[in-house]
Amino acid sequence: MKRLLFISFAVLTLASAALYWTLPDQTSKVPVLYWITQVDPVKLETIALFKAWLRDRGLPPVEVRIDNANQDPTKKLAQGLSGVGADLFDIYIFETELFSHSGMLMDVTEAAQAGGYGPEATYPALYSDIMMGGRQFGFPRNAGGNMIWVNQDTFARYGVPEPSAHWTWDEFEQLGRKLVTAANPPGTRQRVYFLQGLQTLSPMLLRRGLGLDILNETMTRCTLDDPRNAEVMRRQYRWVAELHLIPTLAEQKAMAADAGRAGDEWFYLYAKGRYAMLLVDRWALIRLREIGKLRSRIVEPFNSGFRNMEFGCGVIAAYAGTKHPEEARQFLQFLTSEPFNLLIARSGDSLPPVPKYAETEAFLRPPDHPEEWAMEQVFAATAPEIGIAYARSPFVQTGTLFRQVTGIDQQVYDAVMAGRLSPEDAGRVEAARIDAEIALNVRADPKMRQQYDELVKVQQKIDALRAQGRPVPLAWITNPFHRAYYKARGWLEEAPKP
Amino acid sequence: MSRQSRARRLGVGLLFLLPNILGFLAFILVPLVMSFGMAFTDWDFLRHNLFRHEPLHFIGLGNFARLFSHPLFWQYLGNTFFLMLGLPFAIAGSLGAALLLTRAGGARHRIKAAVVLAMVILAGSGLMLLRGGMAESGVWLFFGLLAATTLIAGVLTGGMLYRTLFYLPNFTAGVATFVLWKKLYNPNTGPINQALAPMLDQFSTWVRSMPGVFSFGLPLASAGLVMVVAGWQARRLRRQWDQSEAGVAAVIAGTVALVVPLALLLGWWGAGAGPAAAMSVIVGGVFAGLTFRRSRVWGRTKTADKGLGTEIALAMVLIPLLLLLAAGIVLGPSLPAAAAAGIEPPDWLGSYYWAKPAFIMMMLWAAIGSNNMILYLAGLSSIPPELYEAADMDGATAGQRFWHITWPQLAPVTFFISIMSVIYGLQGGFEMARAMTLGGPAGSTTTLSYFIFNEGFETGRIGYASAVAWVLFALVFGLSLCNFRYGSRHVDD
Repeated sequence: MKRLLFISFAVLTLASAALYWTLPDQTSKVPVLYWITQVDPVKLETIALFKAWLRDRGLPPVEVRIDNANQDPTKKLAQGLSGVGADLFDIYIFETELFSHSGMLMDVTEAAQAGGYGPEATYPALYSDIMMGGRQFGFPRNAGGNMIWVNQDTFARYGVPEPSAHWTWDEFEQLGRKLVTAANPPGTRQRVYFLQGLQTLSPMLLRRGLGLDILNETMTRCTLDDPRNAEVMRRQYRWVAELHLIPTLAEQKAMAADAGRAGDEWFYLYAKGRYAMLLVDRWALIRLREIGKLRSRIVEPFNSGFRNMEFGCGVIAAYAGTKHPEEARQFLQFLTSEPFNLLIARSGDSLPPVPKYAETEAFLRPPDHPEEWAMEQVFAATAPEIGIAYARSPFVQTGTLFRQVTGIDQQVYDAVMAGRLSPEDAGRVEAARIDAEIALNVRADPKMRQQYDELVKVQQKIDALRAQGRPVPLAWITNPFHRAYYKARGWLEEAPKP
Repeated sequence: MSRQSRARRLGVGLLFLLPNILGFLAFILVPLVMSFGMAFTDWDFLRHNLFRHEPLHFIGLGNFARLFSHPLFWQYLGNTFFLMLGLPFAIAGSLGAALLLTRAGGARHRIKAAVVLAMVILAGSGLMLLRGGMAESGVWLFFGLLAATTLIAGVLTGGMLYRTLFYLPNFTAGVATFVLWKKLYNPNTGPINQALAPMLDQFSTWVRSMPGVFSFGLPLASAGLVMVVAGWQARRLRRQWDQSEAGVAAVIAGTVALVVPLALLLGWWGAGAGPAAAMSVIVGGVFAGLTFRRSRVWGRTKTADKGLGTEIALAMVLIPLLLLLAAGIVLGPSLPAAAAAGIEPPDWLGSYYWAKPAFIMMMLWAAIGSNNMILYLAGLSSIPPELYEAADMDGATAGQRFWHITWPQLAPVTFFISIMSVIYGLQGGFEMARAMTLGGPAGSTTTLSYFIFNEGFETGRIGYASAVAWVLFALVFGLSLCNFRYGSRHVDD
């Protein structure tokens, strides 16, 4: 028996040693960076370009390996905080604030300034996507926002005029009703919808069109108890549940099943004319090019008085606990390089992270796709013009994962759709819950409390000035939406710096 | 054996045990103790982790106070209990399946032959139809033949195949099952709604052709049945009290089973939560008060909780039954209008009101053929056959055999199953919600276990999540104690 015990122990020890020595880190002679991202041809080409970029600059070689099994935000967070995070992360929308707040992202502020990949190297609107509390935690790998793709053949088929480049909610509803009526004979199951995308996305676009954001100017209080939020919910309900211009989630699933596809059914159904329009970013080109050449136009999202679109980026950040900090920083620096930016331009992804590359021939007139030239012009010109970043309050994890703002938004929306809450009550519930989250976070952190109290005083001053109809200093406003909105309305004391 | 030899043997034994002990310490005991400590702190893994070392604060009962004042906690607790409404049916289903499977092997040779012959004829007819150009019916034929083959094989193997088939859900990985059910529940393309749609169309036609029957008849019939069931329970309670078979606590529990559906019915009628609850308390109070004033033939019971276990078990059946009948009262008048527009099959997982029942149905499917069925099969095989032989000689019917022999003999198994089901029910719901609905719509499928995950791993408030986990533990512990205290009495009897 003793022998069996010791043999088992010896075998397990040997197996562990063998496993350790065959790990990729042990077998590679150069530093290995693990990058949490999707596996696709663009990512593989990115790695190849990075290696060539290192070689051209005479830097030591680095191996980059993709980890696509741990893209779930919870996994990234749990692994990072346990000390076993990947060296590089792809970060989406709201994760930057969560991850940087936890301390697991490498602060690259000084290195970025020295290496030329500071915030000034990308679009100004992306400042809040990579900077938290004045410190930099990564660099964009692309940039963009959702625009409306119009399938011109679908509109022509049903004899409905195409939307204009700038259009309003009422025009959206009017054209939508015409198209849905013309495309779906009475007494048959609806097969054609006007737009796909809006219901599953944040209603932020609509709120902002009315001059409302989730948070106030200093991001210290939720403003969704405003009657304009009820108006947004009422409109959404009308467009989705009553007029069926936009499919419900159940209808979307049915459409996907009809198409016999999963994952790329939006694009397939758009190409087939069953969605007349899509609300999606430029990266749709990647999918649509696979389907074939289509006659499409790009127009701005419809608004109700204030032109805007959500503008954001995918960020790559480095892990604070990486064993190869220098190599990770080199990778971030590489994101400003010409080869990488031109790769983004020609691949059909969103805008390149460095703005000047969206003005190149490679971006504006891709030689293999002349049918896209007009669309590229719109993307390059419109997104930076009317794109506004998400509001990121230091006092609440805006939309991080599902539990907070986005989660509350979805829960309240579901309740309105189920008739359990009126839009007005929904707004009040939403505001109360988000304010409760802010209060809880502020109570738990004395430093945050101090900052919060100061900003509340600033907010009171803003409210007092606005009540008198007087302009407000730009420096008082931290919410990027309100900065843009105040500027557009002429409510600022001084003109913002370009 | 010398002392040295004993010490060596002890050392070897401990070495063998060491991996298990280390595993227990590392993954169970230490986390358990830590989570208890964390429940009294403001541990937030965004502020207290490898990279940020802010001081951890002891906040006493702060997390618990916050929890009990959190309106969502009560919603999620309600969801957890709602999903547990299916437990009595699941237990009854397991027992039913076990009884059927015990009998499946007993078919006589002539019956077997008849079944085989019928199936061969069915299969032959199907093939002929297929050859005759009925290709569109191919899928239906396939399923028909599959069912026929199952039946034939079941009869030939003496029930062994059925036992395996019933137990299959237990072999299947949870997430795969949930993905499958998600497909089944698809409102437009799922087979459940595809089967329901023609039936509902037919039902709508009937309602349209006989609106009075449904708008008046259904509520009246439901109300009549409510009166019958409620009257039976009231009379039974009084009789139990009169015969000193029920103590004060048992009468109160039995009364609660009557007034909870009443409160919900009044709520559905728009009476408001407060007035509905007040009215139900008054009705229940008057009934219980009048019962307590009655004289008892056999004098006072020794304990106030005598018969409580029976009343709780009965309440678990009566409440869902009365709720179903109450739904008939409420929905009947609106049926003609709904039928005029066409009654659509439900959006099972996308509707706030249907998501929980959809979960319950899925849980029933999984629970009926689960370990509970195996336990009942084992229990049934251990009942002495002499008891049945004696009953046969006394001329007992099948029902009498069940109520007077099978059911009492299975009491220990039922007790064990009910304890485990309640524990599982309170802790469950996480995997389903995560895989199928993400806790939605509007939090309708978020249970306490999912709430713990959200708070702990998505929001990062580990201290608060630990507090919720310990409250859940207290609930499980409390209910298990009740079960032991009141449920085990039947076992002892």
